[in-house]
Amino acid sequence: MIHYIYDGSFEGLLTAIYEAYYRKEKPEKIIAKADLQESFLVTYIHIATEEEKADKVYSAIREKISSRALKNVFYLFLSEDMEAATYIYNYIKLGFSIGGKIDQYHTHDIVQHVHKISHKVGKEAHRLLGLVRFQKLQGDIYYAFIEPDHNVTALLAPHFSKRMASENWIIHDGRRNIAALYNKTCWIIKEGDLQGELLLDEEELAYQEMWQSYFKSIAIKNRKNPKLQRSYMPKRYWRHLIELKNKT
Amino acid sequence: MEVLQKLEILADAAKYDVSCSSSGSNRKNTKGGIGNAHRSGICHSWSEDGRCISLLKILFTNECIYNCAYCVNRSSNDVPRASFTPEEVAELTINFYKRNYIEGLFLSAAVVKSPDYTMELLLRTAKLLRHHHQFNGYIHMKAIPGADPKLIYQAGQLVDRMSVNIELPSSNGLKLLAPQKKKESIIKPMGFIANQIIQKVEERKLYKNAGKFVPGGQSTQLIVGATADHDLSILRLTEGLYNQFGLKRVYYSAYVPVSQDERLPTLAAPPLLREHRLYQADWLLRFYGFTSKELLQEHQPNFDTTLDPKCDWALRNMQLFPVEINKAPYEMLLRIPGIGVKSAKRIAAARRFHSLSYDNLKKMGVVLKRAKHFITCGGKYYGEVGFKENLIRQALVLQEPKGKTSGIEEGQQLSMFTH
Ligand code: SF4
Repeated sequence: MIHYIYDGSFEGLLTAIYEAYYRKEKPEKIIAKADLQESFLVTYIHIATEEEKADKVYSAIREKISSRALKNVFYLFLSEDMEAATYIYNYIKLGFSIGGKIDQYHTHDIVQHVHKISHKVGKEAHRLLGLVRFQKLQGDIYYAFIEPDHNVTALLAPHFSKRMASENWIIHDGRRNIAALYNKTCWIIKEGDLQGELLLDEEELAYQEMWQSYFKSIAIKNRKNPKLQRSYMPKRYWRHLIELKNKT
Repeated sequence: MEVLQKLEILADAAKYDVSCSSSGSNRKNTKGGIGNAHRSGICHSWSEDGRCISLLKILFTNECIYNCAYCVNRSSNDVPRASFTPEEVAELTINFYKRNYIEGLFLSAAVVKSPDYTMELLLRTAKLLRHHHQFNGYIHMKAIPGADPKLIYQAGQLVDRMSVNIELPSSNGLKLLAPQKKKESIIKPMGFIANQIIQKVEERKLYKNAGKFVPGGQSTQLIVGATADHDLSILRLTEGLYNQFGLKRVYYSAYVPVSQDERLPTLAAPPLLREHRLYQADWLLRFYGFTSKELLQEHQPNFDTTLDPKCDWALRNMQLFPVEINKAPYEMLLRIPGIGVKSAKRIAAARRFHSLSYDNLKKMGVVLKRAKHFITCGGKYYGEVGFKENLIRQALVLQEPKGKTSGIEEGQQLSMFTH
């Protein structure tokens, strides 16, 4: 049995897929280095990331399959699911043989699984477009702290760079220690700890209080339905919501 | 009075308005501006009653010169009163928006001093937001019945959506509960807005820069259960609003007893199930090709409480079923109970490649709990109880969700507006 090991980056994964096409030893699985649990029965082949090869696979997916498939692949990668890379590999293999209609094969196991995970990631990203809460810091910076299940920061940044085009903002994923930084022109993803303590703008707490009170008054008491509320907005997100953080 | 106190009073007064949608407009951010209106709409939070919070929904003022019986803000009611200034509303909106609490503003108002006076205040707020703050987020504004069409026209050029609430679904209801209001003063601005929308669309075909007029369309709200009107008359009204006035949405609000008045019914609880059925039927009108005639008749003018309107329709039209999943036209797939637009589309796409079995449907995520009674796959029928109207009805009624929240398969968003 052969497993390919890649460095955990998207380019690394695409390189591994490139190699899987051209090498004689075909992998059974593709695994990120960080997820590796060595087994005696498996032969491991470490794949070094090469941007050029990754680029080739990237454009091949778009041209020979579809941009929707490319999106699925990227979302699956962001899911950080241990099996994602292997599914991506099988999905692309299938895609190269049947082309752009792959996503209509709803009954195919691989396609189905890929859709399921990709949908989950997309759903979390969409949810967070609403649930991200910025606090205004001194020096006119809007700062948000999130801990998403999947690595969706890069999916949030484009939205906020349009919505808040003329502000400085930071979206900090505390779970992965990465942040999207925006300086009124473009955004980048930065890895590693953010330094310094948060100094709130003097009006910040007043607006938080107004939002909390708005949130309280808008609910209709004789239609209370906490179960429905939680089904849309699972409790694990509440910690970072100004209006609900005192309730966790 | 502090803004915080005003907010408490004027958010509380606005909460019975159910419309929360921020979708349907596609306004782009401008250079140096703030915000954009996202086409598919975004929920920012969910209140304790499970409703999506997308817009800052407030009244500009609750100081009303009118005295409508069903309304908390009626002039004879003893409640704390407050009014914002246009500047306060604009600041609040911008600051909430930048913190990502909201998608935009939903501004309504009681009628203070006169309809024109009130409409002018609303207009000034919209101008401040759009021009001074360069705000490009979503704005939904109430047009005040009776206000000068010129004012309504100016506001319409600035906002994404406008609505005039009909509230009471018949002239009789109006006469009884809101005698100061006339049907004409409600219908007139609706017709005016509808015409302006059509006209702008035409103009924009000729010149690109013709500007916009409520690009997110027009909506209204009907109160359910405050008057004697039955479901059929409400649904007919809805149908007319969609077909004749081109409305984007009609919202329904189960009457919440907010005042003691002998003209009003005494209800133990708001008629939530009725409201829910109306939303289901509304969905069937807009996305499933049904007409009100098909769903309800004079001799049976109210929805079955035990079954959703689509199941009920199917059981009254058994001669059309069972349908063969591999052959039925798309329009018929849509009419199968339990099958939503998404599933129908999937089936239509997948069957082009190979013929579909019952297992295939399951795998594709099609919910068969109800559908199985009404379909065949490759000629085979899968309903266990047999193809008999009464037996199927019984099986379906047993399946109807006991809780009020689960089991709404058709159109996820349905439940956004319901309990
Ligand atoms: S005019 Fe509007 S706010 Fe005033 S009492 Fe009637 S419904 Fe209420």
